[in-house]
Amino acid sequence: MTLSVMEAGIAQPLNVSVVLSEEGGVYQEFADALPRSLVKHNVAISIVNAGQPFFPEPDLIIAVGTKAATAVMTTSTQPVLTVLLSKETYEKLQRDPLKKAAAASAIFLDQPIERQVSLINAALPNARHIGLLYSHASPDLRTLRARATEYGLVVHEQEVTASNPLPTALQETLKTSEVILALPDLEVYNASTIRNILLAAYRSRVPIVGFSASFVRAGAICAVYTTPAQLATQAASAVKQFAENRSLPAAQFAREFEVQINAQVAQSLGLSIPSSAEIKSKVRGDR
Amino acid sequence: MTYVIQLRILAYSYLAMQQQFTGGVISLKMSKKIPGLQCVRQSKSPVHRQRYVLKPAQTPIMPSTSALSPSSVSLAATILLIQSLRAYAADTAPEQEILQDFPVVLSASRLAQPISEAPNAMTVIDRDMIKSSGFRTISDLFRLVPGMYVGTQDGHSPIVSYHGATDQYSRRMQVLVDGRSVYLPPFSSVDWEDIPLQIDDIERIEVVRGPAAASHGANSLQGVINIITRDAGSLNGMSISANSGERGINDVEAHMGKAGETLDYRLTMAYKSDDGYGTSVLNDHSTTRMLNLRTNYHPNGADSIDLQLGYSGGVRGLGIQGRPDTDPYRDTFTTNAFQQVKWQHVLDSGDDVSVQYYHIYRDSSDSAPPGNTLAERHEAELQHTLQIGDKNRLVWGGGARYDKTDSPMNVLIPYSQYQTHFFVHDEWRATGSTVLNAGAMYEEDGMGHHNTSPRLALNYHLTPQHTLRASSSVAYRSPAIMEENANSSLLGTPPAWYSLGGLRPEKVLSREVGYLGEFVPMNLSVDARLYSDQISDIIYVDPISWRNFPPLFLPYSQFGFANLMDANLRGFETTVKYRWAERNSLILNYSRQMMSCAVTGTLTLQPLTPMLQDIADSCTASVPWNSGSVLLTQQVLDNYLFSAGFYYQSEMQIIQTMAPESRMQRLDLRLARTFGDSPKPGSGEIAFVVQNVLQDNYTIYSAVPQTTNITFNRRAYIFASLNF
Repeated sequence: MTLSVMEAGIAQPLNVSVVLSEEGGVYQEFADALPRSLVKHNVAISIVNAGQPFFPEPDLIIAVGTKAATAVMTTSTQPVLTVLLSKETYEKLQRDPLKKAAAASAIFLDQPIERQVSLINAALPNARHIGLLYSHASPDLRTLRARATEYGLVVHEQEVTASNPLPTALQETLKTSEVILALPDLEVYNASTIRNILLAAYRSRVPIVGFSASFVRAGAICAVYTTPAQLATQAASAVKQFAENRSLPAAQFAREFEVQINAQVAQSLGLSIPSSAEIKSKVRGDR
Repeated sequence: MTYVIQLRILAYSYLAMQQQFTGGVISLKMSKKIPGLQCVRQSKSPVHRQRYVLKPAQTPIMPSTSALSPSSVSLAATILLIQSLRAYAADTAPEQEILQDFPVVLSASRLAQPISEAPNAMTVIDRDMIKSSGFRTISDLFRLVPGMYVGTQDGHSPIVSYHGATDQYSRRMQVLVDGRSVYLPPFSSVDWEDIPLQIDDIERIEVVRGPAAASHGANSLQGVINIITRDAGSLNGMSISANSGERGINDVEAHMGKAGETLDYRLTMAYKSDDGYGTSVLNDHSTTRMLNLRTNYHPNGADSIDLQLGYSGGVRGLGIQGRPDTDPYRDTFTTNAFQQVKWQHVLDSGDDVSVQYYHIYRDSSDSAPPGNTLAERHEAELQHTLQIGDKNRLVWGGGARYDKTDSPMNVLIPYSQYQTHFFVHDEWRATGSTVLNAGAMYEEDGMGHHNTSPRLALNYHLTPQHTLRASSSVAYRSPAIMEENANSSLLGTPPAWYSLGGLRPEKVLSREVGYLGEFVPMNLSVDARLYSDQISDIIYVDPISWRNFPPLFLPYSQFGFANLMDANLRGFETTVKYRWAERNSLILNYSRQMMSCAVTGTLTLQPLTPMLQDIADSCTASVPWNSGSVLLTQQVLDNYLFSAGFYYQSEMQIIQTMAPESRMQRLDLRLARTFGDSPKPGSGEIAFVVQNVLQDNYTIYSAVPQTTNITFNRRAYIFASLNF
């Protein structure tokens, strides 16, 4: 009923403000993709940078990135959909005593750990010994520890600390692991450390499962990740739902994802891994 | 109106503050126990741990605080500015953990071809094999390569060759250490004991069995030994180790290294000494001091500059009993130093460009013939590796080399040469199961020869685990400066060695079919091949004057060199590897060789040609018909590692030696006990090594009658290492 009225162009459009943490980059990519999924809907989208005032008062704010999400959730009372931030960050924002947003939801940037385990099973079915390096125990790590047996995996973890620096922790992990699963952790995986990590793992002939297309290009064997466009499609369906009943879906992981493989690295390691399309359909089937 | 403006200022100030905080000003951890702020740390790393963002509640400014004055805003802004100045990082929002851009690390040139897709048969000797073998010299490691001959002229002059055509100046292989070519003028041979490289610094050795000029450069007539040393960043900490044992074995080495964020280095210092064969017939003791530094500077993801410096200096005993005039007991001194720098730049596409320059200096001084010999080499090379689509990887490049030698007793005057080369190689994944490797090298060798060495190989994967390979290649060996220019006038008139020059390069046409199989359930791999190599224009000794009376090859005749023979080498080689636990493995190598030679040239003294025919006939026995090795490694209990190496070689006689080398059946045993958690401080290893346990004392290469009965006897030594 509401929908048909909107389509007729009689009703006021739904005002959606997209707040970007930064101009350009993936934030902009998201903002550019969002309207494409909402063309036939009576939605007016305005794009502002974090810190700019809203005009007119939006019905729904989409905060893109942590900076925008933090700014919006602590200053604005309108419903907020946050995107391009991790589950961990979102949950911390939710617990923030300064939170003002009445209703908030999220589409997470990170991948559910089950999906990453499916990826390993699909791409490297013989790998059982999984190496993990971390500087802090993330929820994903705790899940993995708790469910390792259920997943049929043996976890070999090393915490990177002052007394167990990255090179040592890495060497220890490489001794026992058949694959390293990289969980996002800036202290372990960043532009300065990635060189030695990838080279050492390659020397030990241990593949690394990364978490982004860029990581795969750098030398990881494969990764599962969600593109800003895929997040925008999912955000658009949340917007549609909001237009219908003024409620946001529960915070959720990205439904759509891509699988990227580095065929050159796989070949060089003598591993025959399925194509990214095959892996993707297996991972999807596992869901 | 004023009110609205004020609010805007507040909003902007607040957001500016937010931006600064989220921009990595302070890394904060929100704790339930501490309601306020807790500064975790200000990392020196450009990226920060950011568990949480500083909240305005803990600052004097809040957007909702209406009693805010502009002065307090500016004060807060000043505080923030100071804090931001203290901070390092650019903006790193938490999602950047996932979204950050990584530089391409495993670029096209860093990815090694898997053996099943390589255009040649290849044997890889890795660190585990090196350790298990118990060998303390690099040359001995080649006993683990099917078809390779490792001999010794004396305790410090090993001979390494592949598929015959062997002599004490074995010179028909390309030998590379991290891309630095170490066969040197005037003999184009490798002084294995001189290379400033410790066996423990080797990451792995790839032995290409067959000509590979397209990918490995000049002189790869019969194969390539490609030694890859440990990366600058491979070692963190320090270690010392020592060998001590029979026949004066006394080695000490120290390693230290660090992998940093932009700078890695490793440094090795070593002292190595032994008494050689310990026989009264030979003076072959040796002492070597060595220094090797490798540093890698990688300021960003795209650039890497690798600098290596090495020095080795030693005293070598020389002299054979009963030859006081030509070969008296004496000490000789050698110096070998090199500097090498390689800049590698990874392009955005993942392709890369590298430029390398190195310089080698070798000096040996000897009071008796062959006297003082100086060799110097400068080489610069550019290489571009491109991944073209999913199916092609192309490597092309070129370089120039300058060789200089001054060896008055051998070649009278100093000689120098400019060699230039250009190469291109493509690896084409034609279908999912077919890989075609095609390439060629063109070289101008500095002696007026223009050689083009093509190679073509087809690898067909029957299944991903089973591969057939067929390949054909051509390669050349340019004459050594000694071969082209020998002139030993300083040692007597007329000179015993006097080249007439005008030599052509030796050429090989190699053909092979191979099979590689992985039997995954059994943890077994098989590598086998049949080959046929035609070597033409072999450069051999040519008696040019019989002023001092024949017969051929007795002292005081006068000799030069000429292209005199062709050789036909055929055979079968196989390697079987079986691994039944993490550290337990069995490696078997076997080689069946057949060689025949034909006289194709004319001696300067034509009537002697029938004698040359006799020499050609004797080449059949100059390769061992059967040879092989077995290397067994077995973990015993938790901390003990047992290994055994068995080496077999049937009787053979290298052309022009004085006696056959007897059949070798050599068993080496090593038992090691490790302690601690290697490579952590406090860990280490103690090992006991016995070579030739069964005392099957085989005879060694012998070029003069006095050394025909020297045998390789049982010897033992203890190894100890400590990491700290």
